[in-house]
Amino acid sequence: MTMIRVLSAAAGALLLALVPLAAAQKGVLQVPIRSDGPKTLDPVRGSTQYDDQVISNVYETLLQWKYLARPLAQEPLLLAEMPTNRINADGTQTWHFRLKQGVRFQDDPCFSGGKGRELVADDVFYSWKRFADPANEYDNFRFFDGVIVGINEFKDQQADAVKAGKEFDYSAPVSGLKKLSDYEFEVTIAKPVYRFLYNLAQFQTAIVPHEAVEKYRSQIATHPVGTGPFMVKEGDWLPGQRITLTRNPTFRHEVYPSELPTDPALAAADRALGLDLDAGKSLPLTDRVEISFYVPDPALWLDFKAGKLGYTQVPSEYMEESFVIRTKKLRQDWADQGVVGHAVPLLDFIFRGFNMEDPVVGGYTEEKKALRQALSLAFDGQEMNKRFYNGLNILYDGPIPPGLDGYPKDGIAPVSYAGPDVEEARRLLAVAGYPGGKDANGKPLVIEYYSSNGGNQVEQTQAEQEFAGAIGVKLNPRLIDFSELDVAVKKKKAQMFGYAWGSDYPDAENNLMLFWSKAKSPGVGAFNYDRPEYDAMYEKLLVMTPGPERTTLIEQMRDMLIEDCPFYGSMARTRFWLVRPWVRNFKPTEDFNNWMKYLAVDDSKR
Amino acid sequence: MWSFILRRLLVSIPVYLGIILIVMAALRVSDPVYAYLGKNATPETIVAKRAAMGLDEPFLVQYAKFVGRIATLNFGDETSPDPRQRYESWKYAGQSVGLKLRQAVGPSLSVTIPELMLTTTISVIIGMLCAYFRGTWFDRATMALVVMGMSVSVLVFIVLGQKLAGFSLKDAFGIDWFSPSGFEPWWERPFLAFPGDPAERLWGFIPVASPALAMWRYYCLLPVLIYVVVGVGYDTRFYRAVMVEETGRDHITTARAKGAGRAKIMFVHMLKNAMIPVITRVMISLPFLVAGSILLEYQFRIPGMGKLIIDAIRDKDFPIIQAFTAVFAAVFIVTNILTDVLYALVDPRVRLS
Repeated sequence: MTMIRVLSAAAGALLLALVPLAAAQKGVLQVPIRSDGPKTLDPVRGSTQYDDQVISNVYETLLQWKYLARPLAQEPLLLAEMPTNRINADGTQTWHFRLKQGVRFQDDPCFSGGKGRELVADDVFYSWKRFADPANEYDNFRFFDGVIVGINEFKDQQADAVKAGKEFDYSAPVSGLKKLSDYEFEVTIAKPVYRFLYNLAQFQTAIVPHEAVEKYRSQIATHPVGTGPFMVKEGDWLPGQRITLTRNPTFRHEVYPSELPTDPALAAADRALGLDLDAGKSLPLTDRVEISFYVPDPALWLDFKAGKLGYTQVPSEYMEESFVIRTKKLRQDWADQGVVGHAVPLLDFIFRGFNMEDPVVGGYTEEKKALRQALSLAFDGQEMNKRFYNGLNILYDGPIPPGLDGYPKDGIAPVSYAGPDVEEARRLLAVAGYPGGKDANGKPLVIEYYSSNGGNQVEQTQAEQEFAGAIGVKLNPRLIDFSELDVAVKKKKAQMFGYAWGSDYPDAENNLMLFWSKAKSPGVGAFNYDRPEYDAMYEKLLVMTPGPERTTLIEQMRDMLIEDCPFYGSMARTRFWLVRPWVRNFKPTEDFNNWMKYLAVDDSKR
Repeated sequence: MWSFILRRLLVSIPVYLGIILIVMAALRVSDPVYAYLGKNATPETIVAKRAAMGLDEPFLVQYAKFVGRIATLNFGDETSPDPRQRYESWKYAGQSVGLKLRQAVGPSLSVTIPELMLTTTISVIIGMLCAYFRGTWFDRATMALVVMGMSVSVLVFIVLGQKLAGFSLKDAFGIDWFSPSGFEPWWERPFLAFPGDPAERLWGFIPVASPALAMWRYYCLLPVLIYVVVGVGYDTRFYRAVMVEETGRDHITTARAKGAGRAKIMFVHMLKNAMIPVITRVMISLPFLVAGSILLEYQFRIPGMGKLIIDAIRDKDFPIIQAFTAVFAAVFIVTNILTDVLYALVDPRVRLS
């Protein structure tokens, strides 16, 4: 009898559990993030693009990147106009900012009466001073380190005060931050560096109200209070699982852009996708965005196939199922469903680098250069691309990835040591003093090659050994964890290494910085490249505004690097996206992430 | 019995303290702060992180403080202004380790408890039947099936389950019973509801429903079933062997001679006497109920303890790894003590002395 009762109860429960779950609400956009999502919703603690994908839709920065226009250009977001600047007699540069009026923080209990107040200049200063607060562990202080006049002194003073048991004093002045009125302020930076404006579009510099930080303290990381088009309500973020963005009802009147790419072909492509149709409409165009986080790709792919997601990046194992690899065209069965495919080149610089301070592979004499050039010519990038990346990567000369000023036409620079050219490689190897791969004493040339042991790095390294072996050079592989690789490079132990760099912002200056002698290891300049003439060019570039003269300088620097060959085998990945027909206005990009406000849902096409 | 439990607990304390000492020392062999922050870390960020976690203190002080945390079950208070009191996850700023552990227990138990109950019930019943009918076609066919089930990698079941039950069932037949992955806190929904809208009723007319169970079924039933298919193989073989041994015992022969029915022999005489190995096996599984199933939780995106620890290891989230290991060791020790107590309860011959 007991068994019968248990079985009956189980059957009853199962019956009750079979009730259908509520269908997706109308006008709701369901999208994925291909990771376990953000780790914080506090801008000053954020670092990853997944943090950015949520934070930059809730908080706002002073500037943003234009959504549709290409090449990429900035425009005001919280500002009423682009900032202007003047160079001071002492060599510093002062930027003048004017905020938009009527920008309000979202309603939240942290404000008096629960009503969000207007954003003013003090909020900007407060948000930026947070970078210097030890409570935030200086996660992103590098943004302003040595940039804003007086910020380093402010940080040190406050650190001493906190150590002495006092409170961090946000009201203490920073000499480079000057308030003119509630809506106007000036920022003086130590050197006239153009990239300062790029920092102002990065989500870490977004504006946070002091009331929220004071009320929620460290829990501001889970309780965002911004001025942006969306809000994250209590309980709407399940870390590692999903997050829901809800329209901010007090968001100001902002409209969908009308500026298309300057290239007529790109503009026509945007028009064909209907990206221009919502121009002038009030943002955001969706009331609710449900973002799910996917770490293993199969679940993501099944949910997209089942129509539960509006768009997806295509994981590499599903490329063949969605695109014809050879032509990179979307397969017909997907096109028949109204799905649109996009190929988006990433700002990647994947390379094999040399430690320029190494007595064997480093140095700047003709012989030393010849050795590196020989290895570059022996390297078969096309074969690597075909074997390991389905032929989908973009190969190019130099350190500047596609899409940026200074990227050589079709990836081929006037100076090029792109292989494979085994004969020329052998000749150069002889010039370097290693005919047939042996030195004057007949001892074979052996190079320690460091690479991470993740993914298919073992196979990739074997291929590298084959290429170098074709000219008689032996690569001795050191496959280690990425953290160990990083230490080896920073300590200048790695003679040669496989590495990559993703641009922090879409400007060639960011990649060219890797070769500035002041960025040498343990900085990010893993090559330890050190040429005064290059440094002079880089420091000149830093203060130049975009234009033909700047482009020419970038090209000169690029060609100088190609000739010196501190690296070879540059590649950039291409990310492929699929978009369901009911998602409107989606122009995939990974260069910025505050585009959720432009997306719209057409339920009639579901 | 209470004195036995107390004695065992007292004996376990030095063992546990030793485990914690070894774990803490092992986690500090290479600098956890540098491993976490990676290449972009500045010296002052490293110092700030160390200070926030108390890693700048002497090892024995850290040890004493951590033992204090375990003793008071205090794995941080995210609302505290003092970063050391907050004891935050490194990956998820603003969220204490305690909060992360608490959040992960529910999803893990949502899968592991039903799985253990189902697997044990099914395996014991099949084991008994096979033992009773051993050597017959039923025994052979069943054992062939369970061996087949346990021989196939669980990954194959996961991939097939997600594709067939999570996708194809809906794609081909419009039956959306299982999600290929994901999780929602189903216990936050009402357990009983009386939907007025026919669209929300089962088959359009049954007026009673359980939104909570429906949510559980959508996200958890498929991983539970996969777990059961794999687990039943191992357990059935074990329980069959136990039951076979039991069928040869004198009391079973006596029961048969006295004319007891098959069901009575199996469920009363055999099962009662085979409870010690059943309890042993179930109790061994208990710590893993809390720890979750790493593979299933990872593949099904269930934010349980298994996923928490695998993510923490991947992200080098040192506070989570340290606390998880301590909790797991404690659960393991408590389970061992509990197992001994249960032995005595089910078998009067066992004396707790």
